[in-house]
Amino acid sequence: MRIAIAGKGGTGKTTIAGTLARLLARSGRQVLAVDADTNPNLSVTLGIPAASARQIVSLPLDLLERRTDPDGATRSVFAADAEAVVRDYAMSGPDGVQLLMMGKVNHSGAG
Amino acid sequence: MCRAHATVRGLIGELVARSNHSRDIVLDMEAGLEHLTRGTARHVTRFLAVLEPYYRSMETARRVVELAKELNVPDVVIVANKVRDTGDRAAIAEFCAAHDMRLGAEIPYDPVLLEAERSGAAPIDYRQESPVVSAVKALAQSLQASAA
Repeated sequence: MRIAIAGKGGTGKTTIAGTLARLLARSGRQVLAVDADTNPNLSVTLGIPAASARQIVSLPLDLLERRTDPDGATRSVFAADAEAVVRDYAMSGPDGVQLLMMGKVNHSGAG
Repeated sequence: MCRAHATVRGLIGELVARSNHSRDIVLDMEAGLEHLTRGTARHVTRFLAVLEPYYRSMETARRVVELAKELNVPDVVIVANKVRDTGDRAAIAEFCAAHDMRLGAEIPYDPVLLEAERSGAAPIDYRQESPVVSAVKALAQSLQASAA
């Protein structure tokens, strides 16, 4: 299953996300957790020690390529090997949950 | 489209398109709603909209339901969190009924979480059988039972 957890700040999203990821992993599933919060805290509720969490390298911002379609429209496509990206950037935590961190958001750019 | 969000969206899209489908993905979204309009979560199959028993939080969850529909992710499970008593329960039930929202799980208010946070531990490691962990376990089981 692929689940996104959303809600107002402070509602306990991250507690639920981290605990849910751990429980799914304990039931024998392979779990990839993705912290897409600009104020990332998922490592804590996953139980990854702070010293380890500080070493996580967030997803680089150069994995997308601009492509131009035959009709002249441009779009961004993911141009890297996704499994290799998971291997290179995800940190393994308790119960085997893997954690990826979203790259830094640049609010000033139109992107 | 912010590049960081677009990268997450693109990565999940690639994993879904090319890789092992048995892997679960749990995406912890940014607080609020702006990110939803960026489509970061386009490739997920289900949203959990977490709310607390007060109006602005429930209203945000209602908007999550709307935006999820726009992203063609119609499966939204409402998760009521920090529920203390029957008054909380009634307020949530009333709001959900008024807005055609399906309440999927209820998680009790649990002071143990504060202790866990103070000690820097994950809730599941701090106390395995706390009310919150038990409630999330029930949620995990119901999600697995109803997963396509």
